[in-house]
Amino acid sequence: MKRLLGVALGILTAIGGFLDIGDLVTNAVVGSRFGLTLAWVVLVGVVGICLFAQMSGRVAAVSGRATFEIIRERLGPRTAGANLVASFLINLLTLTAEVGGIALALQLASSVEPRLWIPVAGLAVWLVIWRTKFSVMENVTGLLGLTLVVFAVAVFLLGPDWASLGSQALSPTVPAEEGAASYWYYAIALFGAAMTPYEVFFFSSGAREERWTAKDIAESRINVLVGFPFGGVLSVAIAACAAIVFLPQAIEVSSLSQIVLPVALAGGKLALAVVIVGIVAATFGAALETGLSSGYTLAQFFGWSWGKFRRPAQAARFHLTMIVAMLVAVGVLMTSVDPIRVTEFSVVFSAIALPLTYLPILLVANDPEYMGEHVNGRATNALALVYLVVIVVASLAAIPLMIVTGAGS
Amino acid sequence: MSPRLRRSTRPFPPDETLPEPVRPAGLVLDARLHLLDRQTLDVDDVPVATVDDLEIGPPGSSLLAGTDSVFVTALLSGPVLATRIFGGRPPASRLHRIDWRHVTDVGTTVRLGVHGDSLDVLWVERWVRDHVIGRIPGGRHDPG
Repeated sequence: MKRLLGVALGILTAIGGFLDIGDLVTNAVVGSRFGLTLAWVVLVGVVGICLFAQMSGRVAAVSGRATFEIIRERLGPRTAGANLVASFLINLLTLTAEVGGIALALQLASSVEPRLWIPVAGLAVWLVIWRTKFSVMENVTGLLGLTLVVFAVAVFLLGPDWASLGSQALSPTVPAEEGAASYWYYAIALFGAAMTPYEVFFFSSGAREERWTAKDIAESRINVLVGFPFGGVLSVAIAACAAIVFLPQAIEVSSLSQIVLPVALAGGKLALAVVIVGIVAATFGAALETGLSSGYTLAQFFGWSWGKFRRPAQAARFHLTMIVAMLVAVGVLMTSVDPIRVTEFSVVFSAIALPLTYLPILLVANDPEYMGEHVNGRATNALALVYLVVIVVASLAAIPLMIVTGAGS
Repeated sequence: MSPRLRRSTRPFPPDETLPEPVRPAGLVLDARLHLLDRQTLDVDDVPVATVDDLEIGPPGSSLLAGTDSVFVTALLSGPVLATRIFGGRPPASRLHRIDWRHVTDVGTTVRLGVHGDSLDVLWVERWVRDHVIGRIPGGRHDPG
């Protein structure tokens, strides 16, 4: 019974923890511009993150080595160092976006300027990292994030033309008023939003924090394989809400208030309150994950002592890294840069950086020295190779498409 | 243009048979594969450092020429990483050594038989602990 509860809790937190500011913004922007014609990308992304996350969780559980230790061992200091610089900067960009997302959501709730909320949000995230237990932190933000289900409810309340939504999703074509280049640019952005590398750093390091062993592999696999697809359904629901309300008016979503507007139209004040709670929880949870990931990546590369299960004084450089990262993120946001724009860039750069983390994990998941009998099976490897091609193509195409489309505008 | 050997002219006769290297008894470790860039853990399983480089030489001398065999005398960490990436070599006084005699096991990690606190490589960690992290309220308590 206790085990069953554990699995249920794991699945629920996986659903609630799947969405972050990247998914919220990208899906809403895509929905308002392309309808559901890019819903297939969410499917591709969800299958990819399931594959990637369960592989890195398995590697961490069996070998006891987290992602960046493995990257360093496999690629050597030079390549791994370049990888570290890229991953760390993109993670910092994502952290900035998430903290900005918390501030924007709190602004919606309070009408207080986001720049007054930014330091408060940064301090709150750091305090939770500093003092809270890992499992408490994971479960609370994950469960509160579940309130984003209200997006799915809103789709039904809005009473859309199901036939046209269905035909957009099932037989996707590039809308007449958009170019093919923007279509593919946003396809890559959606893919990057679903498969952000920080989730992998966090997932594999979290497995060490919670001291997984080979026995926990089955449970983690169920969490991922059930939780993430439901998270993907919520992503599509966000896009559908935007498609129903904004697409016919040709309004492009560019602020958080527009992202939640369909929910407010469908369910009134109560639904709006629920969705704001959900957005705060989702961005707060993701800010914790990216904040911790900044410490994980650096500490694992240099071999420092790390982990929230230790007292901060026993992982001093790890905690110092996170403090500095948080100060940088808050500092960048205080220049009144638009967090929504930061988010849009962070998801595309995430897609660019994906091969850097994906390939070493795939190599080690096949290495019997680390994995013993738990090496990848043939089916996993076949799918993993297909995804390797997808990831490399998306990564290579991202920058040319960004230049051609002027970052999607 | 620099004079280069043409590919067809090999510096050895093509039918030369080279002697097979003698396979030593016991555990064979490849320094590059099994030691470099591996995580070291101390006797309590606390991470110490990643092996950034190795100090090689007969114990007590820095001369390599004229000796038959060389030994790994110490694992190095710290500033030596920068010179390993960008080239060059730091002055001997800057090397942070973990003596090879402290190593107890080499697997997916390199295990040491001593406490990390007794090692010089961790001085930065101790400095940050004593001057920054340990001074923030709550820094010396268990989370949660």
